[in-house]
Amino acid sequence: MKSFSRYISKYFVSFSILIIGLVFFNLLAFIWTFHLIVLNDYGSSSPQNMIADVNAASRPDGITDEMADKLRSCSIWAMFLDGTGRCLWSVELPTDIPIDYSVQDVAAFTKGYLCDYPVFIRCREDGLLVLGYPKGSYFKITGNYYPMNTVKIIPIFSCAMLVIDLTTLFLAYYFSRKKIICFTEPIISAIASLSEGKPVSLSISGDLSEVADSVNRASRILSRQNQARANWISGVSHDIRTPLSMIMGYSGRIAGDTAANDRIRTQAETIKHQSMKIKDLVQDLNLVSQLEYDMQPVHKEPVRLSKLLRSYTAELLSTEISENYPVEIHIPPSAETVTLDCDARLISRAIGNLVQNSIRHNPEGCSIVLGLNCEADTICLSISDNGVGMSAEKMRELKERPHYMESTDDRLDLRHGLGLILVRQIVDAHRGTMQIESEEQKGYKVSLIFSKSE
Amino acid sequence: MDHSFLFTKKILLVDDEPELLELVSVILKEEGFENIITASSVSEGIDAAKTEKPDLAVLDVMLPDGDGFFLMQQIRDFSDVPVIFLTARDEAADKLAGLGLGADDYIAKPFLPEELLLRVHAVLRRCYKTDAPVVKLACCLIDFERAEVNRAGETIPLTAMEYTLLETLARSAGKIVTLDTLCEVLWGDNPFGYENSLNAHIRRIREKIESDPSKPVSLITIKGLGYKLNTRK
Repeated sequence: MKSFSRYISKYFVSFSILIIGLVFFNLLAFIWTFHLIVLNDYGSSSPQNMIADVNAASRPDGITDEMADKLRSCSIWAMFLDGTGRCLWSVELPTDIPIDYSVQDVAAFTKGYLCDYPVFIRCREDGLLVLGYPKGSYFKITGNYYPMNTVKIIPIFSCAMLVIDLTTLFLAYYFSRKKIICFTEPIISAIASLSEGKPVSLSISGDLSEVADSVNRASRILSRQNQARANWISGVSHDIRTPLSMIMGYSGRIAGDTAANDRIRTQAETIKHQSMKIKDLVQDLNLVSQLEYDMQPVHKEPVRLSKLLRSYTAELLSTEISENYPVEIHIPPSAETVTLDCDARLISRAIGNLVQNSIRHNPEGCSIVLGLNCEADTICLSISDNGVGMSAEKMRELKERPHYMESTDDRLDLRHGLGLILVRQIVDAHRGTMQIESEEQKGYKVSLIFSKSE
Repeated sequence: MDHSFLFTKKILLVDDEPELLELVSVILKEEGFENIITASSVSEGIDAAKTEKPDLAVLDVMLPDGDGFFLMQQIRDFSDVPVIFLTARDEAADKLAGLGLGADDYIAKPFLPEELLLRVHAVLRRCYKTDAPVVKLACCLIDFERAEVNRAGETIPLTAMEYTLLETLARSAGKIVTLDTLCEVLWGDNPFGYENSLNAHIRRIREKIESDPSKPVSLITIKGLGYKLNTRK
């Protein structure tokens, strides 16, 4: 989410830089275009220079020939009026220009045009010098006057406008950003949960509803596939159970049949033993897939772990365990009353899998210790044995090599066995952590650590 | 306790797999159960339950014309026969639904013959208690009806606490009963803080039932876990 607002801010900054750049470019283009005209204006034929030159070359009775030629070459006409408005002399005066002027006529043309010719004048003691440029060659602004107050507030006005413009721009940015985030935030968090493989359901109206629809569709496809996979696994494990009951039932009977000979009974015992392995595998596989795809609701309730540990151990000792595996239980008084909000069935299953692991890896037998310890804010359930343990290399493999359930590779050296995967999933479902410690010939210890507040 | 009368109980098996029906019947018959009737669907099951009046029903959850839970509800309309479910699904919800309906136990497939027999015996024992609750130990008899111990012609009375403790242990004879279960039965609470009281009661019971209370053979301590009562047939 942070990254998205940073993304928008970055766009805002580059947009601002673009606007400033554009204004700067406009200013440059303006200067470049108009400096030529301004410079041209200051050439020898510009009204300002020309009127000065002509003024110097004029007398009430005429103008120098040299100046008259220059005026002709520039297509400029000139006339000289005396105090009464009579034309004393003229150069190239067009025929539509009168030669007598009243005071009103003079007042009318001095500021601007005379018969559409832009005119420029110079007042002299002895009369009025008038220069007429060709029609359309100059644009004269005639009536530009403003109240002084207006002119005085122009700087303040400009500054205020600038501030208002910038504020408006910023507000537009701020609110559009807020709106975009408001609309995109659910989509982005939905995509984030999709990437963790969790189903989502978005309902957004407006422009982004199509995006929301696509996300919902992707989620539906994902959960349908997950559901199909979980159903497939649960269906297969269901279908295996009845035939397996038959195999276990009959092999168990043959193994216990005193009328059969020893060789057959030993073989039946092997079949029974291996069938039990398949049974465990089928149960683990089903539960792993249910937890993996969130198909298995975790029923959490406060459970006194000391009680759970004792009843698990009592059941273990009463039923299946051989005498080569003495089981002890260590619960200090401080941990006696500690409770954990958990699914008792799943926690028992995790403990069971770890105990079975110890038994499987120590065919010669080992003693197993189940412990419960309580720290300031954590609860630690530990299952340890004093058996063959694990070499450092094996340990590294266990930590680094991916399990086939969690890998899409075709590698042949992926880890197998569902026992530990299931334990880890159960621990994850309770927001706990799992630690494995082991050294070769020095036993094996797994600690499941949960936080107390959970 | 003498449980031989349990073998005369009539057991109804309902499963749509004929081979599984055969297997379960064989296991039960070899154990000594004589009256076994079978059915392979909900409708057959209801008929058999009505006409044969079985003492125990072992029902599969998945049946061709409905499920075992439905069958059990139908049977409950006219009979209180104890029910054990055989289920091929191990989801917790199924199990809870089964027990929530008032089922007595469930067995998850696949199962070993021992497991089946253990549960059938346990349910029958629980539902058809003997009229003479006498438990035989290594050197004495406990008469639960009179709440006393008979030892070499001598009669020793049991206190209420001792009676409750022994009864709880005898119900799971040969199995470990955890400290938690014992304390819940005696004080309705967790064992924390009650260890000494419990020890005192156990010591007094041993003085009454063991020939050498310092070397118990009937009431055994399982360190850290609880106690076990060894009985004799």
